[in-house]
Amino acid sequence: MPKIITCFKWVVDEADIRVEPASHRLNLERVGYKISDYDRTALEAAAQLKEKYGGTVTALTIGGPSAKKSIKDALSRGADQACFVSDPGFEGLEPAQVAGLLGSVIASRLEYDLILCGDGSSDRYSQQVGPRLAEKLGIPVVTAVVGLELESDRIIAERKLETNLEVVAVKLPALLTVLPDLNTPRIPGLRDTLDAAKKPVVTIAAAELPPVAAALIETVALQGLVLERNCVQFGADANAIRQLVETLRKSGAVG
Amino acid sequence: MAGIWAWAETWELLQEVLRLGKSLGEQMGASLTAILSEQLVAAEGCFAQGADRVLRLPALPPELPMEAIVPVLAGQAQQDCPELVLIGSTQRGREIAARLAGQLQAGMVSDCIAVRFDRAQGLEMDRVMYGGRAVQTVRCLTRPQMATIPARAFPVSPPAAGSSGEIVDLPAPEAGKVAVVARKPKAAISGNLLEARTVVCVGRGLETEADLALARELAAVLGAEIACTRPVVEEYHWLPEHLCIGLSGQQVNPNLYLGVGVSGQVQHVVGIKDAEIICAINRDEQAPIFKVADYGVVGDFREVLPRLIEELKQAGSR
Repeated sequence: MPKIITCFKWVVDEADIRVEPASHRLNLERVGYKISDYDRTALEAAAQLKEKYGGTVTALTIGGPSAKKSIKDALSRGADQACFVSDPGFEGLEPAQVAGLLGSVIASRLEYDLILCGDGSSDRYSQQVGPRLAEKLGIPVVTAVVGLELESDRIIAERKLETNLEVVAVKLPALLTVLPDLNTPRIPGLRDTLDAAKKPVVTIAAAELPPVAAALIETVALQGLVLERNCVQFGADANAIRQLVETLRKSGAVG
Repeated sequence: MAGIWAWAETWELLQEVLRLGKSLGEQMGASLTAILSEQLVAAEGCFAQGADRVLRLPALPPELPMEAIVPVLAGQAQQDCPELVLIGSTQRGREIAARLAGQLQAGMVSDCIAVRFDRAQGLEMDRVMYGGRAVQTVRCLTRPQMATIPARAFPVSPPAAGSSGEIVDLPAPEAGKVAVVARKPKAAISGNLLEARTVVCVGRGLETEADLALARELAAVLGAEIACTRPVVEEYHWLPEHLCIGLSGQQVNPNLYLGVGVSGQVQHVVGIKDAEIICAINRDEQAPIFKVADYGVVGDFREVLPRLIEELKQAGSR
């Protein structure tokens, strides 16, 4: 019966971000937060494996104190317990630092056969944490997983690549990063939410861990992406459409 | 030899990465090394793209995934100490780059879309984050600096005249813990969205397959490729995934993009930002697509499209 760790990230909901038109500054004042999209797929995959094969699922996240809200959400998606690694300094870490921290928490405190991560996070989408974490732990990694079966001590995983699908076998322990094609994450019901409140949560503070490694990259600027376009409106009547076609023709967009 | 390394899974992408490496090498005063998977092309092909040296990887036995090259690259990088490692951003490329970065304890910029070299500051690289809402500018604090380079992100310069250079054969990768048991084709891919000069893209505003037929008629008149937003693939199942435009789909750069019933979610818009002209038809005047469109038509596409098709036919015959 597999012991599974699912890593997830609590991220800004990018749909709530506003870009100030003149300065191109990002306005994060009224943003909501969510479990990163692909990490919901990872949590669902863990829940389904547990339903099928038994075992345990630990949901693991690193973040600032405000990420506490994510714990109940993760636990309502099928995990048995959660591990919350929290410090104000853990916000905005770069991928190598996150992988390093996850690695030290897992190596020192958690047993596992299988680690599941989303293929990338909804905010940065660097796709580095999973492979870096596997390297740190010295275990094999399979990325871009869209199908998986557990066969005694190994996983048969299907990967979605640009040109084909690749089916691989990997012996446990291993780390997989998953794509949304793998499953449709459940929407937790009232019962799931009530159950989640009773599940154990281990909180780990920075002081209990080795110091975070120095950053290997630095963000020197973050600017809203604004597309400069004409924004000319046309009506829907025949005359207006004629003008539109004429305009498109003059610009060379239609022959 | 400190220099720039370039690797990509396909020859097409490797050429793009080599040309970017060449142009950065000229600014940085660094030599360019192509890491070439032997089966892609003869080493001379890399020299013609500006490489000063080729590190050649043998073709892999079928049970080895391409990712098995990571330890070989890491070993060579420890000897070579490259200043910059550029890796073509395919799914495999991103895994290989992240693992190599992990082994070399190097910082990495994923999916770099622009890069600037400054003698004092080194390289500054831009990448997109927040689902296309923002551009993050990043600097690597360690060496090698590393980045993955998406296809078609950088302008392509013509190849240099054929020259030659050193060819070094790298050791064959050893079997790791991941073994390939099968390779399956993906669904056949028709049309060519990435090369299309005109794209008609349908969104969730369409309600029936008859609406899709109307959009296809428009595409036929325009000589356009048809494309769609993610919900059309995932909720309607009308069109295959490779026709989906957006952050998690194709990124297109046609002369004309025409959105029909497309609302303009950021995840979609990031895929059309390089279109020459964006035109949108939507009945909701508040739809965000109008803020990023050159020309907008507020109206029901069932009325607008027949008029547009008629006008285009007439304009074509004039």
